Amino acid sequence: MSADLDAATNSLADPRTARSGNRQKRRGRDYGLVLLAAPAVILLVVFAYGPMAGLIVAFQDFNVADGVFGSPWAGFENFEFFFTSGGAGRILWNTLFLNILFLAATLGSGVLLAIMLNEIRGRVTKRFFQSVIFVPYFVSPIVVSIFLQAFLAGPSGRGGLVNDLTDVFGLPSISWYTEPGPWPWILTVVKVWQMGGYMSVIFLAAITAIPEEVYEAGVIDGASRAQMALRITVPLLKPTAAILLVLGVGRIFYGDFGTIYAIVGDNGTLFSTTDVIDTYVFRALRTIGDFGTTAAIGLFQSVIGFVLVVAATLVQRRYAKETSLL
Amino acid sequence: MTTVEAPARPRPRPVSTTPPTGPRVRQRQRPETFTVVSYAGVIAFAIVCIVPFWMVVAGSFTAESSLSQTGYSLWPDPFSLDAYTTIFAGSRVWLSYGATIFITVVGTVIAVIATSGIAWVIARGLPLVSRPLAVFAYIPMLFTGGLVPMYILITQVLQLRDSWFAVILPMAIAPFLVFVQVSFFRATPQEILDAARIDGAGELRIFFQVVLPLSKPVIAVIALFYAVAFWNEWFHALLFISEPAKYPLQLVLQNLITSVANAADLGTVSAAPVYQMRLAMTVITIGPILLAYPFAQRYFVKGLTLGATKG
Repeated sequence: MSADLDAATNSLADPRTARSGNRQKRRGRDYGLVLLAAPAVILLVVFAYGPMAGLIVAFQDFNVADGVFGSPWAGFENFEFFFTSGGAGRILWNTLFLNILFLAATLGSGVLLAIMLNEIRGRVTKRFFQSVIFVPYFVSPIVVSIFLQAFLAGPSGRGGLVNDLTDVFGLPSISWYTEPGPWPWILTVVKVWQMGGYMSVIFLAAITAIPEEVYEAGVIDGASRAQMALRITVPLLKPTAAILLVLGVGRIFYGDFGTIYAIVGDNGTLFSTTDVIDTYVFRALRTIGDFGTTAAIGLFQSVIGFVLVVAATLVQRRYAKETSLL
Repeated sequence: MTTVEAPARPRPRPVSTTPPTGPRVRQRQRPETFTVVSYAGVIAFAIVCIVPFWMVVAGSFTAESSLSQTGYSLWPDPFSLDAYTTIFAGSRVWLSYGATIFITVVGTVIAVIATSGIAWVIARGLPLVSRPLAVFAYIPMLFTGGLVPMYILITQVLQLRDSWFAVILPMAIAPFLVFVQVSFFRATPQEILDAARIDGAGELRIFFQVVLPLSKPVIAVIALFYAVAFWNEWFHALLFISEPAKYPLQLVLQNLITSVANAADLGTVSAAPVYQMRLAMTVITIGPILLAYPFAQRYFVKGLTLGATKG
């Protein structure tokens, strides 16, 4: 079933070539069809484009009584307030640093897992392992947070499986939740655990699309399987990796709120290495209720993200025209 | 019904289903080191993926006295059902199950209707409509209004505070899934559509009676993606739902993390096995997903494959 699905999507890369010629006559009737798009259009207008328009709050001294249209204008004060508040540098750095770590680690582990999965003989075995490593993707950050506590803390804060293991090797046990230093790496491990399988599914699909002749040529030339993986598979996975990279780069200024807030929460001792734009904004909104500044940060994020994704798409399109988005 | 197996292609020796016979008995080739390392790597990663689930399930059946020492357990010893009996004796868990099921079912239905509709209009390639509509659906992938305008919209403009629709509606259309479905719809054979037209069917009738029945596989794919997203959603619930009786499961769980004292609310007994209850609540929350997963996983793989190869 998926075979004909794939074949069909590939053959219809350009849908317009397959259209019948006499469609002009039916045009009037065709447009009744547009009604089908109405629910989605309404949802997008209200919940995607509406908030974009709402970003004018970033230039206002917003208060609830006057609302979006009545609040006094504040120019760029909100932006100034954020960038001069002292915390901005650290928060921006954390956001960038963590996202680069996450992106590199999840892409790298995805490629590695896909190549290793590809070595496994037997459809059933391979499918079994693929299903198992895909499972973590389906649990929420809250559940991940509880898993992590069983490893790092336990109810007392000093227990957990990891500390029991360090005891075995005579290493000191660490009170992880009061120690900000290792957290970027702990969070990276969490991301790899959760996203490694997901990424490997995408990359394994790309490996499947590599023509068999390429490998046959490799066999004839006497290449070992390791050489074929390194010299054939890895280079041919670059376009797929490039697409995922472009998407990731576009979101590089969006902190991973779900994972970070679920795990770190309001644990202030860990903020120095884990507080990102999104968690900061959330806290600012909830505790101070400062709509203007938080909207300003949101606008800043969106604009930078937009510029980055457009730039990344252009760069990538230059190198691999046929694989770029849109 | 395949998923994404690579057809295990570059094989140094042909694999026949019958054992080699005749004079030329093939020397059994030793697997290359690389293959051995790959097996080991995959098996190790698979174990790492499963162990946390096992620890939480085992822990949820382990008596609080033992858990409070270590915080986890690899085998339920001493075995205890206290957490589950306490949780299910209270009404909170049923209320939050109800909330999560409402959000998941209603949300998925709305999302599938909206996504299928716009995807078909984009896929039909109508001049002056489809292309702009595709761009219209694509822009929210690149640019979002962010938290604050959404907060003002839901609480001030739409007055949806404490309504489950505050969780459902902002997530009811995922541009990525729109494009997954567009690439499937584009594969609908033109001949079938032409045949329906010759029989006098209108465009709407073609969509509902021809296209949708043909698209059951992709509808299953996107419905499952939406359902998991709704089941796991807690951010919008955290922002907009403050009435404890309306909390979905994830939010109940999140409250258990932030404050152990909240666990006491769940049950009726005062000396509740708090930590064990946290693990049991986790099992209760992920249970339905894990039970459905073996049947649903091939659809997820298919959806991702479709999305990935089409970009």
